[in-house]
Amino acid sequence: MRRYAFLAGSLVMAAAVLAATPQELQKQRHEHYEHLGDSFKAVRDGAKALTPDWAAIEKAALEVEKASKKQDQWFAKGTGPEAGKTRALPEIWSKPADFAAAAKMFEDKTPALVAAAKAKDVDAVNKAFREVGGSCKNCHDTFRAPED
Amino acid sequence: MTEIAKVRVRVWDGPTRIAHWSMVGLFGLSWWTAETGRLEWHRWSGYVFLGVLLFRVCWGFFGSSTARFAQFLKGPREVVAYVRGRWALAPGHNPLGALSVLVLLLLLLAQVALGLFAVDVDGIESGPLSTHVSFETGRVAAHWHGVVFNTLQVFIGLHIAAVLFYVFVKKENLVGAMLGGKRAYDSQPAEPVRFASWVRLIVAVVIAAAIAWVVSRE
Repeated sequence: MRRYAFLAGSLVMAAAVLAATPQELQKQRHEHYEHLGDSFKAVRDGAKALTPDWAAIEKAALEVEKASKKQDQWFAKGTGPEAGKTRALPEIWSKPADFAAAAKMFEDKTPALVAAAKAKDVDAVNKAFREVGGSCKNCHDTFRAPED
Repeated sequence: MTEIAKVRVRVWDGPTRIAHWSMVGLFGLSWWTAETGRLEWHRWSGYVFLGVLLFRVCWGFFGSSTARFAQFLKGPREVVAYVRGRWALAPGHNPLGALSVLVLLLLLLAQVALGLFAVDVDGIESGPLSTHVSFETGRVAAHWHGVVFNTLQVFIGLHIAAVLFYVFVKKENLVGAMLGGKRAYDSQPAEPVRFASWVRLIVAVVIAAAIAWVVSRE
């Protein structure tokens, strides 16, 4: 009997995750970006150290790259301002081609960050950091609401 | 009010006046550079501000007498006496004005300190000491950097309003005094103002500049 209760409970939980509400998706997106900011800071802080921890920097750079690849999954239809408090602007869904182009710029810049970290090259990391940062700004200027 | 044979007395020394007006300019510069996203300039404005504030703190301990905290900071009894008009006018900050100086200096020091640890939402722009704290802590510092900024706007507004009240209603030219250093009194003050030597000035400048420089190199 307990076996079936466990199975039923798992199915209910799986269904809950799959059927996440727009608000829950917004929250998940927010957490993804918080993690991205944290990783991005870790890359920059790591490179500034007197003896950089290259393993940690590479790990953080890979997180940034992963985020740039998965970003398109974080903007499901209906998770804009109409669903709740979010800095995601309606233009994301009304100008999909422009948004995709901005997202692609981010995705294109992150491999250089990973490569620089793997090469243990501080100058290359700093340069790639600025390039990626520029791609962040490029998208945010159009598709993210300013801080109130 | 007719002026009868008033005495012009030097109240504020050069360093105190330069510190005051530098802070006015730096506050404006810090504000503008933050608003327009010029974060590199904003940080430099902050470093210079830190230096000026540190100088002012040093000067408050061993500068000219009217700049010293021990001289102008008074207790609640003196503040009440001043407000009730039972206070002998003497060179330097009155007990009430002294409170505003204290509050503004503390707020400005807090603002600079918070900025040193602040991180922006993308983890891109940050203060020089932010490498020593987590992203989350840096974000909290950034939030409070914004809160203290709003608080400063209120107190600076109050400060300006109060000064204008003194100038136009009480007919005490405080602005002129902070610019040229001198103001008129009915008679020579009982306690003469003691001005600090060049040696003390150099010591204060070196201490302040050294600390600000080290912080900027982080």
